[in-house]
Amino acid sequence: MTLPDGVALHARPAGAFVKTALRFESSLTVASNGKTANAKSILAVLALGAVGGTVLRLSAEGDDAAAALDALAACVSNLSE
Amino acid sequence: MVGIVLVSHSSELARGLADLVSQVAGTEVRVEAAGGGPGGSLGTNGDLVRDAIGRADRGQGVVVLADLGSAILTVRHVLEGSANGQVRLVDAPLVEGAVAAAVMSAAGQSLEDVARAAEEARGASKF
Repeated sequence: MTLPDGVALHARPAGAFVKTALRFESSLTVASNGKTANAKSILAVLALGAVGGTVLRLSAEGDDAAAALDALAACVSNLSE
Repeated sequence: MVGIVLVSHSSELARGLADLVSQVAGTEVRVEAAGGGPGGSLGTNGDLVRDAIGRADRGQGVVVLADLGSAILTVRHVLEGSANGQVRLVDAPLVEGAVAAAVMSAAGQSLEDVARAAEEARGASKF
């Protein structure tokens, strides 16, 4: 999926993303620009340096993987600055 | 939620970091600044630290981060005089540790997990 235009995965948006990820047991990663981050680590997500329009690849492994991916995708599409 | 206390020699640094942390983690986490010495000088003040811990404590524990040297000593001195085992001074980089801890707290994680996230910030790459 793609980050909305004008929304970088930094500060408040990154916090919202990671807080969503932390609701789930599955192990969750987000990749962009050739880098992969633990979606439950704010510092790792910030280090991706993902800016608006960047393609994010979400992956999940665990019992609640499908729900986690749905929630993260909804979170990303609702992000605003 | 676990409260966060930021101890710095500079009141501006502690307050500014509290603002930054709240922006990332959300305002539901209690992040308290305890910066500066008596009369607003550069330094640390045990009374300020004690008060900040009191404000941050909502019953799920408090993680304390400090900037340098004597700030650690000040916090240790305050904690020695307190019977509250739910207050944890963590050995972590101040900015990254505070952000990591506050996001974990905002997500409802335990004192143990919040403290660990702060300490693991030491090994995190910025980019």
